[in-house]
Amino acid sequence: MKRLATLAGLAALASVPLWLSNLYLLHVLIMTGIFIIAAMSLNLLLGYTGQLSLGHVAFFGIGAYTSSLMSLGFTVHLLPDWPVSLEPKPVWLSMLGGVGMAALCGWVIGRVSFKVRGAYFVIVTVSFAEVVRLVALNWVELTQGPMALNNIPVLRLGIAGYELSFLRKPANYYLVLVVAALAYLLIRRLVNSRAGRAMIALRENEALAASVGIDVTRYLVLAALLSAGIAGAAGALYAHYVRIVDPEVFSFIYTVTMVIMVVTGGKGTLAGPLVGGLIFGLLPEGLRALGIAPEIQWVSYGVLMILIVNFLPAGIVPAVAGVWRGRAAAAVAEPLTANEQASA
Amino acid sequence: MDQLLQHTVNALILGGSYALLGIGLTLIFGIMRVVNFTHGELYAFGAYMMYMWVMLAGTNFYLALVLAVITGIGLGAMIEVVLLRRLRGADIDTTMLVMIGAWIALQNLEQFTWSGVAKSISTPFPASPLVLGPISVSWNRLFVFVVASALIVATYALIHKSKLGKAMRATFQDRDTAALMGVEINRIHTATFALGSGLAAAAGALLGPVFVAYPSMGDLASLKAFAIVILGGLGSIPGATAGGFILAFMEELGAGYVSSGFRDGMGFLLIIAILLVKPTGLFARRERIG
Amino acid sequence: MTRTVSGMLAGLALALLAGHAAAQDSIKIGVTQPLTGAFAASGNYVAQGAKLAEEEINKAGGVLGKKLQLVIEDNKSNPTEAVATAEKLINSDKVPVLMGAWSSTLTLAVMPKLEEYQVPMLVETSSSGKITTSGNPFVFRISPTSEMEAKAFAPLFKTMNIKKADFLATNNDFGLGASKEFSQAAKANGVEVGVMETMDPKATDFSAQLAKIKSSGADTLFVTTAVEQITLILKQAKDQQLPQKIITTGGSNSPDQLIAQAGDAANGTYHLVFFTPWFPEAVKNADVAKQFVALWNDKKFNVGGLTEGFRGWDGIHVIAAAISAAGKADAAAITKALWDVKVKGINGDISFIKQGPSGKESAQNVPSVYLIKIENGKVTRQ
Repeated sequence: MKRLATLAGLAALASVPLWLSNLYLLHVLIMTGIFIIAAMSLNLLLGYTGQLSLGHVAFFGIGAYTSSLMSLGFTVHLLPDWPVSLEPKPVWLSMLGGVGMAALCGWVIGRVSFKVRGAYFVIVTVSFAEVVRLVALNWVELTQGPMALNNIPVLRLGIAGYELSFLRKPANYYLVLVVAALAYLLIRRLVNSRAGRAMIALRENEALAASVGIDVTRYLVLAALLSAGIAGAAGALYAHYVRIVDPEVFSFIYTVTMVIMVVTGGKGTLAGPLVGGLIFGLLPEGLRALGIAPEIQWVSYGVLMILIVNFLPAGIVPAVAGVWRGRAAAAVAEPLTANEQASA
Repeated sequence: MDQLLQHTVNALILGGSYALLGIGLTLIFGIMRVVNFTHGELYAFGAYMMYMWVMLAGTNFYLALVLAVITGIGLGAMIEVVLLRRLRGADIDTTMLVMIGAWIALQNLEQFTWSGVAKSISTPFPASPLVLGPISVSWNRLFVFVVASALIVATYALIHKSKLGKAMRATFQDRDTAALMGVEINRIHTATFALGSGLAAAAGALLGPVFVAYPSMGDLASLKAFAIVILGGLGSIPGATAGGFILAFMEELGAGYVSSGFRDGMGFLLIIAILLVKPTGLFARRERIG
Repeated sequence: MTRTVSGMLAGLALALLAGHAAAQDSIKIGVTQPLTGAFAASGNYVAQGAKLAEEEINKAGGVLGKKLQLVIEDNKSNPTEAVATAEKLINSDKVPVLMGAWSSTLTLAVMPKLEEYQVPMLVETSSSGKITTSGNPFVFRISPTSEMEAKAFAPLFKTMNIKKADFLATNNDFGLGASKEFSQAAKANGVEVGVMETMDPKATDFSAQLAKIKSSGADTLFVTTAVEQITLILKQAKDQQLPQKIITTGGSNSPDQLIAQAGDAANGTYHLVFFTPWFPEAVKNADVAKQFVALWNDKKFNVGGLTEGFRGWDGIHVIAAAISAAGKADAAAITKALWDVKVKGINGDISFIKQGPSGKESAQNVPSVYLIKIENGKVTRQ
């Protein structure tokens, strides 16, 4: 029954470009999809291992820049007379490069920052993201700094003699849908595996997990690596869809958006980032249509986050799921409690 | 050589305000263990209060300063009571998320109220600077240095010599015993947060007229404050003071001799370096409070 | 749980099915400007100028017998949002022509969309050379490039007796482009280039850069950034007693605001502007300029915004002229008609020349540049 519902949901999603004539709304969906992928990756770290990384946007941006630079080609002078150049590579290879680079950075940061915990970890991750932003801004020879990398090529795939170009929206929509589905499956596999259970044990009680012999650092680093790689994939998709990348892509505000999506949707659940992503991806456009000032939109985000953390600390998905379960169990539960009371 | 002297003077003056910011946060982050993302917003609030009192209400500059600090203390107290009190036992992530929510709401409220255009605040100081040989310093900045230093000394005295300060230190060292001894825990929490916020507002009120007031001015201030607190060691006022000056020097000399674009990045590099080498900070001893 | 998600998806699908009806009795022009975010001040001035033009044109009978309707979207000073606004204006609002997007990065972000949907855009402020040399035939720019500004200034190196110049610019396309062009023009005119410094667009403390510039031995400092940073630079330069004379470039320097906020620190400084509202008779089409200033003051808009608001006015007038000449509100026809427009704008006479790779040229106007000086709290001609 569950599987049928999932397939139906996927089919519904896949059908959207066929009947949605307003390309602007399709664009909104594509951007939302990209953000959902990023939110899923953050959920892996925040929800499953319990580490609040506020520098997550760094991996998104690294994926975007790496993929763009590889597909555009570049020349840098590491020393005045020592130029290093790269010829433009095919976009699919560049995208994989983006994922790989982001994952590598995730591994490095994981190894380094997991020496500290809690608040310190948060601050290190924020600082890392800011440093990366400043590097992107100031290393003009490589990244064009504030002049931005533009004219980024679109993905072209050659399949059985036909060339499939991802210039138009429907093609990009399907690409994002496929990557999102893959990311979801990967995360689900991980969470249900032994490694996943170890991570959850870590989140619940790190000292206890360590005492039982779980190699804390190894699992945290694994989570960081995968989480960064998926965020990098989202970044690469962004780069070849929007086709311009500037250092603003490292803004802290995107990390905040991802955090809001995960926390309100439900951290530590598989559907949480989907729900949170849908809400906070579509909400700005809805508010724009209503003419609401963007500042008020952000104020409501802040207030919403405070309310959710206080009243629905587990997020929307677990709360709704609880209601479903409650209704199904209610019929059975009542007589029991009455009996219990009688015998007490 | 002249350039170096000028850089040194600039750094000394900036360091005073940075120290103020850092001390405020070390009280909140170091003692209360609250990752206070609203610290920068209190800084911005202080600056905007100055704008409101001096430019819109025509109040005397010095009186406006006092008012700005008092309203900053008030806002801090309100945040603690409304948002943090019910989360007192919760884990650090939850508190952090609430503070992030409050930060976004506050900053955008500020932007909505005052618009994104930067605001200048007039000062009563002469426009021409004080010139001492090859060095010149604006009177405004000199004033900031003097007041900041006075506030730092006053805070230290408050924490170590007064009854309130003693109660604060007791509460955060061992809450249950303090409660048993008759300390009103709720009041102390509110007072500590309010004091820390007041110091941030003071820093903003002092620096706002030197530069300009704009809605996102708090973001950098927040991050620099964290750098200073980590550098100096959580909960250590002398540590935060030293940290403030060290950061100011690193920024000024780094911008002057290495790369001006990276000026604001110095703080972050500092944080990362320190946390890798000595996570407890330069001045911390175990569980040191005050 | 999956049921919940599917349920939400169904609801979403229903919501998306609601379409957008377009009014047919007015001609729409899409405007994308930064109304919030880092460039909000300037974006709002341009939007105000544009609205004044809309009102004036409609009062005179509109275009092709129909009213002009500006659809103004906020791109939040962010390239991703700029793309979203372009998508919305072109696909949802179905505008046949755009004006925007203020900063060079924002304009560059929108440009691929112009080619994708074959819709022309009037670029009113951006200064990056890339915009008209990328081979995009849907770009029509009326603002000058930094290169043009530097060329216009070139004769003044001699008359102002400049021997050695320093450069301080904001670290983005606008600032870096200006520093590069002006320093090249300086070298070509026998002037020595001293220190070239930059700062983050959000920075407020320039003491380090100014300390370096103070001891450089130059007699002139070129500053390119937005007005808030210029205010701070002037104040801090006075604090450090900088010996150089300061010349600001780029047109976002709002001398009125500088006088109001920098006070005495602004006296003795020079500014390159593209419109002189203090003496409108100095520009070529003085009557248009005076009319604009009068309308602006009637609405009690901020006087400091005149030096940027005029771009919105000129832009809408050019577009209106093109629509008139094209005979219909159709993107392809407007694109063709834009090439032949001649409009008496506030900055001067506006017409387009070809620029960029042959076969795919973009259009560029050659605007006028003016130098003014602030003395005793007033703007004087040079």
